[in-house]
Amino acid sequence: MSKEIFVFVECKDGSIRKVSYELLSKAKEISQKSSSIVYAVIIGSNQDVLANQLKDFADKVLIVDNEKLSKYRWDTFLSVMEQIIKKYKPYVMFGPSTTTGKDIFPRLAARLNGAIISDAVDVVFDENTLKIKKPLFGGKIISWMKCKDDSTFFVTFRPNSFIVENRSLNGELIKENIDVSEDSRIVSISTEKRETKKVDLQEADFIICGGRGMKGPEHFQDLEEIADIMGGRVGASRAVVDSKWRDYDDQVGKSGKTVSPKLYVGCGVSGALHHTMGMDTSKVIVAINKDPNALIFQYADYGIIDDVFNVLPALKEELKKIKKEI
Amino acid sequence: MNILVCVKQVADTEARILLTSDKKSIEIENKYNMNFFDEFAVEEAIRTKGKVKDCQISVCTYGSNKATEVLRTAIAMGADKAYLLDNNGYDIEDPIITAKILASFAKTEGFDLIFCGRQAIDDENANIGAMMAEFLNIPHVSAILKFDVVDEKKARVESEIEGGKEIQEVQLPALFTTQKGINEPRVPLITGVMKAMKAQINIIDPATLKDLSKGMIDESASKISVLTYETPSARPTVKIIDGETPEQKVKALIDILKDEAKAL
Ligand SMILES: Cc1cc2nc3c(=O)[nH]c(=O)nc-3n(C[C@H](O)[C@H](O)[C@H](O)COP(=O)(O)OP(=O)(O)OC[C@H]3O[C@@H](n4cnc5c(N)ncnc54)[C@H](O)[C@@H]3O)c2cc1C
Ligand SMILES: Nc1ncnc2c1ncn2[C@@H]1O[C@H](COP(=O)(O)O)[C@@H](O)[C@H]1O
Repeated sequence: MSKEIFVFVECKDGSIRKVSYELLSKAKEISQKSSSIVYAVIIGSNQDVLANQLKDFADKVLIVDNEKLSKYRWDTFLSVMEQIIKKYKPYVMFGPSTTTGKDIFPRLAARLNGAIISDAVDVVFDENTLKIKKPLFGGKIISWMKCKDDSTFFVTFRPNSFIVENRSLNGELIKENIDVSEDSRIVSISTEKRETKKVDLQEADFIICGGRGMKGPEHFQDLEEIADIMGGRVGASRAVVDSKWRDYDDQVGKSGKTVSPKLYVGCGVSGALHHTMGMDTSKVIVAINKDPNALIFQYADYGIIDDVFNVLPALKEELKKIKKEI
Repeated sequence: MNILVCVKQVADTEARILLTSDKKSIEIENKYNMNFFDEFAVEEAIRTKGKVKDCQISVCTYGSNKATEVLRTAIAMGADKAYLLDNNGYDIEDPIITAKILASFAKTEGFDLIFCGRQAIDDENANIGAMMAEFLNIPHVSAILKFDVVDEKKARVESEIEGGKEIQEVQLPALFTTQKGINEPRVPLITGVMKAMKAQINIIDPATLKDLSKGMIDESASKISVLTYETPSARPTVKIIDGETPEQKVKALIDILKDEAKAL
């Protein structure tokens, strides 16, 4: 049985998403233990430059270039992935648990009658098996799972689960000539992209999250400024989103996004279970709240008990200084 | 028009969840709800029914006897017919099998339109919708934010895509998964609840469905298995940063984040 690890590379706005580098880095670590090799699969149109950037991270880079693939659609991408998998028969294929990954991987697994584990956070190679770590019930329980038979195995991982490591592999570029088939039952009428150069909430290393304690939409400007200094993103609690102070896209929590940044700062967030379920895998959690009994202090590593409006100006200044030092 | 809504009963987020001593299974406190995202699916079906002629809404769930509760909730909201695909109390781990069962049921009954939730809040898989559509060989659109029936054969939907939104026209039959924001799910009226209490729940043994057999859907068919369950390691107790003024507190925090937590 071949033990090749394939990674589906996701691109966004003309660049490779960080999560793809994370998956390639982890895949390489595993391949060294299981004496196998890592393939990056990049699908799209005119991606020579991007494919070159992948060379450092994979032993082989499969490139499928076709103008019909300039925009993601599950039908076209699926037809390509299906043919690649049938040709190479990889042992496992990793993908991101993002909007795109969640759309295509389940359908791909169903088409190929494979095995799938979605929304995982870790993987280890042990006793000749891949053991997959997946939180359940919003992180209340952790499960370790494996694939039982030798069918093609698909795993999607949350962004920010792994560290990016450039191993300068200088992998081989391989162009694949593959027919792309489109499902005529779906017609795209229009797309609307949010104008933002900001990093994706789920991929951000730094998140400053505002709760109802921020008092109103106008005060989120302070948080925006801090996020910009740190190259991160502003998040929001559901109370804030429901009050229409921020878009749903910013919502952190059970019914919003699950995030695990390196640093999460909650400002005027009470730390209700539905919220913490979406952020308690953050590496470091800081809470700013005027109520010493706020639930969020049960999850935070560090806390400041004070009025958030007194704290934010100082925080902004100090972070600015730090960024200047670097 | 025949609409199917797939709903899942999930543990309430507040429910206590415990591991058995062998760490091979979990015990859930008896607090369950309809999956958060499935409420939007039921609501959208009801709104669609209000806009087209001769429309009937069926809801189905693959689960244990207890799951009839969510079917009744859906009926109380306004669904017409309910089906329990009985798992005999055995929860299958492999989502492909769940999707096969639901798809097979849909094939047996025949539907123009299928709604699922975007994802279940217990497993957070977001698998079943797209998988079902694949098994039924119909198109799907994930995470829809707006839905309109154009005519008997076509729907127009707005959905969430990476970094934005997209509007698409989709030929029916098709499957859609609902995202928060598409509508405001109604709270059942007392008359609805009364009706739901008396409603008949059709109970089906999945092994009797089209193209399925016992061997295809039991434990031996599952391609994945759980090795063990764990409880997450508890976070250390919070360190409250002291200081006379907010400025001092922030300075102390920054030092700790730099030196101790290495987060800056
Ligand atoms: C099915 C379901 C799903 C849900 N999903 C989510 C979800 O995905 N995400 C989510 O966030 N919530 C979710 N919720 C809601 C959740 O239960 C809470 O209601 C919500 O998170 C509370 O938001 P908050 O912390 O902003 O507001 P509040 O609970 O009102 O807390 C405000 C906090 O700000 C503090 N504060 C006030 N003024 C100041 C000040 N001047 N300085 C400092 N601190 C101040 C207060 O002490 C308080 O702790 C969900 C609920 C349900 C039922
Ligand atoms: N056992 C089930 N019975 C009926 N519908 C289900 C079941 N499991 C999942 N679904 C549907 O599929 C959606 C996605 O679930 P999941 O793939 O588990 O995240 C849910 O929101 C439901 O609409």
